[in-house]
Amino acid sequence: MKQRIQPRTLFVCLTLLCLLAVWLSLALGPVSLPLIDTLRAGLRLLGLPIAADGLQQAEMILGQIRLPRTLLGLAVGAVLALSGVAMQGLFRNPLADPGLVGVAAGAAMGAAVAIVGGSWLGGMPEALAPYLLSLCAFIGGLGVTALVYRLGRRDGQTNVATMLLAGVAMTALGGAAVGLFSYLADDATLRTLTFWNLGSLNGASYDRLWPLLLIAAGVALWLPRRAKALNALLLGESEARHLGVDVERLKRELVFCTALGVGAAVAAAGLIGFIGLVVPHLVRLLAGPDHRVVLPASLLAGGVLMLFADLAARLLLAPAELPIGIVTAFIGAPFFLILLIRGRS
Amino acid sequence: MRRPAALLALCAAFVVATQALAAELPQRWVSAGGALSEWISVLGGEARLVGVDTTSQHPESLKALPSIGYQRQLSAEGILSLRPDLLVGTEEMGPPPVLAQVRKAGVRVELFSSQAELAAVDQNLKQLGALLGAEEKAAQLSASYHQQLEALQLQVKQAQQNHKAPGVLLLVGHAGAKPLIAGQGTAGDWVLRQAGARNLAEHQGYKNFSSEALAALDPDVVVFSDRALSGEQALQALLKENPALAASRAVRDKRLVSLDPTLLVGGLGPRLPTALQVLAAAFYPTSVAK
Repeated sequence: MKQRIQPRTLFVCLTLLCLLAVWLSLALGPVSLPLIDTLRAGLRLLGLPIAADGLQQAEMILGQIRLPRTLLGLAVGAVLALSGVAMQGLFRNPLADPGLVGVAAGAAMGAAVAIVGGSWLGGMPEALAPYLLSLCAFIGGLGVTALVYRLGRRDGQTNVATMLLAGVAMTALGGAAVGLFSYLADDATLRTLTFWNLGSLNGASYDRLWPLLLIAAGVALWLPRRAKALNALLLGESEARHLGVDVERLKRELVFCTALGVGAAVAAAGLIGFIGLVVPHLVRLLAGPDHRVVLPASLLAGGVLMLFADLAARLLLAPAELPIGIVTAFIGAPFFLILLIRGRS
Repeated sequence: MRRPAALLALCAAFVVATQALAAELPQRWVSAGGALSEWISVLGGEARLVGVDTTSQHPESLKALPSIGYQRQLSAEGILSLRPDLLVGTEEMGPPPVLAQVRKAGVRVELFSSQAELAAVDQNLKQLGALLGAEEKAAQLSASYHQQLEALQLQVKQAQQNHKAPGVLLLVGHAGAKPLIAGQGTAGDWVLRQAGARNLAEHQGYKNFSSEALAALDPDVVVFSDRALSGEQALQALLKENPALAASRAVRDKRLVSLDPTLLVGGLGPRLPTALQVLAAAFYPTSVAK
């Protein structure tokens, strides 16, 4: 057995990395700000009385562009990684990812309806229009997951295998629906749909951020409390039951947290793959399978990976920008492969 | 003594006034729209462009400018890093939260129409002319655009007295494979009708056709617009990928015309009248000159 990192070392490292990522995410961008301006503007944003002269641009870029973007990245990364742990724990399968219960397919379907069908709906209240896409994606994700969960239930019991197959079927159905909508779409909406499917933290703003931050905080506070129950579930369902875990309730909570968290993340930033699958693996490779460590560590690592991926997304092609889904896969996949190969030898 | 001093003051005032006037015009432009960038160049404003989007491919010199990415997926900080005074784009430009951020940073954002209609060209030229301080030139261009198109309409009408309007399909493809066919309401449809053709495709938007449906429509002329290849190569690829076309009247009579695909994106641009003339000449070979 390969030597593992002590949880404490892991947490210290991850916290430091997280602080570094946040700092870089605030300090770097296509607009090069002098370091001192970044610092002063940052302190001003924290409410410290510092003279505002010559800081307008720095304050605007930091406060209106980089800070919401950083918060969005942290929240999305953390929620996706946590949901990944929840799904891998629920299905007791390391290949599980948050998309497995249909939340991603449902959200994509909702987004396709909003992007392509938005004009057909017509007569929408003015105030709702900018949020239609997020709302539809969120409702789609939640709805499809609820359906998958319903399909997996029989006689008051949730059969995980049935749920998994139902998830696969609903994902295929969602794919077909998205395909149909892209067939009906015109050129312009088609491109919007394509880009949405690749995800982006671009254009983050506070009014879109609050709902996600609230949900992310809820999920991040709730899931780690269930770490012991998840550990018991690793042994098997009946074993966990004998250990005094209310397995049905645990399953319900895991599915609910995932649907809520991933739904909100996808609604805010589009589909961003890979984080949910790989981050829990990374953490387990480093620190072992104890959920008391895996859950909080994944939360941190998800945020860190997301912020670094976003840095690459906004800097590589500046002043243009890469969709972040491309970057998470390009950075994450090789890194993951290296770990796998090293872990085997 | 007095008079030279007064003259000097007058000159100084004049210089200051023109400078003030020039200072009010935006100096650093970012353009997110192919046709718009072309019009800006034609209006003599290319020197003011400091960045363009990926749809701005003409004139060739624009490709040397920093690219801000695709017009629907702009990045606020990327645009701001170019320190522009003005961002111009069509109503396709977005996403909206990014535009709001750019506005908040004090950059003027001007929206233009990308509709395939003459009124949009007039309006866009007027707006661009005012922003560039080249109102006169814009008015001239607008007038000559109308003139060219009207002259073409006249030629087409005359030609149609002797010839039936040919049934045409416009195929947009990538190296010939799986071409999309321009239906009603597309820029391609507008182009075909302006050049005097009957668009055989009756669907809305750009759609994929089966080769059998292609053969059944039996077009008199095929216009193809290839994003990867051009000229003879594009034609060869098209015929190779779509053998059903070989039986059509268009191929038998060798009536195939290629069209630059960048003409179909982002509204009507300055190169269009010339291209329309070429198309009309292909549709009515005996009556319309190239």
